[in-house]
Amino acid sequence: MTPQKKRIRLLSILLFLLVAGLYVSLVKGSVKTSFIDLWNFLAHNDQTHAQIFIHLRFSRALLAFLVGACLSLSGAILQGYFQNPMAGPFVVGVSSGASFGAVLALILGVNMSFWGFSMQNVFAFGSGLAIVSLVYILSQRKGTFKVETLLLTGIAAGALASSLTSFLIFFKSESFEQAVFWLLGSFHLADWNHFRVIFPTFIFCFFVSQWLAKDMNLLVMGDEIAQSLGCSVSRTRKIFLVVSTLLASSSVSVSGIVGFVGLIIPHWVRLLIGPDHRYLFFSSSIMGGVFLMFCDLLARTILSGSELPIGIITAAVGAPFFIYLLNQRRR
Amino acid sequence: MLLNRTTLALCFLFILNLITSSNQNLTIKDDLGHTHVLGNPPQRIISLAPNVTEILFALGLEKKIIGVTRYCNYPEQAQTKNRIGGMVDPDLEKIIDLRPDLIIAFRGNPLRLVRRLKDLELPVFVLEEGTTLESVFVLIHRIGQITRKEKAAESLVAPLRENLKRIETSLKNVNNRPKVFIDLYGKGLWTCGKKSFMNDLVLKAKGVNAAGEIPRAWFSYNREELIHQNPEYIVVISKSDSDFLEVKTWFTKEAHLESIKAVQKGNIYFLNEDLITRPGPRLFQAFDQLARILHPSFFKDGQ
Repeated sequence: MTPQKKRIRLLSILLFLLVAGLYVSLVKGSVKTSFIDLWNFLAHNDQTHAQIFIHLRFSRALLAFLVGACLSLSGAILQGYFQNPMAGPFVVGVSSGASFGAVLALILGVNMSFWGFSMQNVFAFGSGLAIVSLVYILSQRKGTFKVETLLLTGIAAGALASSLTSFLIFFKSESFEQAVFWLLGSFHLADWNHFRVIFPTFIFCFFVSQWLAKDMNLLVMGDEIAQSLGCSVSRTRKIFLVVSTLLASSSVSVSGIVGFVGLIIPHWVRLLIGPDHRYLFFSSSIMGGVFLMFCDLLARTILSGSELPIGIITAAVGAPFFIYLLNQRRR
Repeated sequence: MLLNRTTLALCFLFILNLITSSNQNLTIKDDLGHTHVLGNPPQRIISLAPNVTEILFALGLEKKIIGVTRYCNYPEQAQTKNRIGGMVDPDLEKIIDLRPDLIIAFRGNPLRLVRRLKDLELPVFVLEEGTTLESVFVLIHRIGQITRKEKAAESLVAPLRENLKRIETSLKNVNNRPKVFIDLYGKGLWTCGKKSFMNDLVLKAKGVNAAGEIPRAWFSYNREELIHQNPEYIVVISKSDSDFLEVKTWFTKEAHLESIKAVQKGNIYFLNEDLITRPGPRLFQAFDQLARILHPSFFKDGQ
């Protein structure tokens, strides 16, 4: 199959899953609703379940989709950036760093906001960027990245940030709900304000990365080659680092840390359609979104009358699948 | 000049209007400062905490309650009500579907949840836990106010207040205050500090909380510190007798805890978790039991 056909096939499957996922997300829930109810609401403006459809299910499905898209795009960028398929927002420590910033803002009580963007987002972004820059500087040796150094530094920095987060939560808020939210993620209390933060962030970051996708293709060949082919390496690197951090940190500030999405989805997409970043960024975003939307559907319906943190689902579904993928490739 | 006078007059009229209209529409603020209009008595109430449920039932609002949490097990009729999920993860769909005209939230419900309920334009009224035994009276009065059961609240509080006074009178002549360690059932020595209402219970029962110096509410205590504090009593707070026995056995079997006076004297007692952890009417039963544990000789004549 030609690469183009592969891409078209993947996108049509994803599109189908997206529509199906949205439909199931709208119809399924603890309050029993059927296709008829949805139809009556959409076609005949029946208000009985309006709030449930619009403000609970739809907003939540959309948010899960956008967070999944952000995390996957962030992962796709980082994997190209570090020339390493093991990279991802969680692995390089951005997620944990961002979560620390968000909790810090919460505990310091700085809650100014403008246009829906709160200080929490700013703090999350700042500390996420600090962590990833640290990892970047520490794992760089003569312009190249040693895989082991990168992974180990990322894991160590992430663990440090997580422990600081747990410390803040334990020391200040005395609430385990907070700990579970920030460390395992949840869309339970998702609302339209979250959407207002994450939607423009995603659109902006997506266009920037799409615009620089060709340069990413060059970067993967090594900085020197990229430079000789006319790519402004240091500028491109800076932009990508900021964009991927912005994506991951805004996801974290609305939904806590959702692991695994940013690692497995771009990896899988690369196996399916090849390493061309011009297509990889877009496909990863859609696939990540669809994946997280289905995971959230599981998180809110698998136990009746109770919510599961979404991180449990993404890891439970993602990890075995990831191992399977790795095994497939080795053969 | 003329303009100034007109604006002044308008301002005056406006203020006058504010005063008169506030008389017609009574409002109260919840413990987060949200304003609520006291209109007709609420007919469809959801409780987001077990102690709130107990208070609502005690106020005779059984028929008005349409939803409770999965932890609301008292009184028995509470278990026949719709379950809306837990205190931390209530089911928002179900809450909306029940069309409540009042939702009462409590300290154990996360702030983010309360904000989300507000955001969904649900009528949520938030109440604080308080740090003393008397906070329960305030709590009952507040719930009485918002549900328009002021009189019932009054007659619920009166005997409780009397009960409290009676116990305090019995303990009036107590001179020695024994040191007590409150052990909340679970992994690790979970206990209560200065900022918890349980600390006040211990103080009012003429005891000293072994962990009472620590300026926090709930936390896990240090074993060495426990040995150093050397309490005369250990009160285990658990759901059942079997849990209590498990903890008691642990305290008596561990060699390094042998030196603790409570262990030597066998002063390890049980208090029902549901009674003592819920700031509601039954908290006074727990207080009575605690006082009797610490000072049995002052209650001999069957008071």
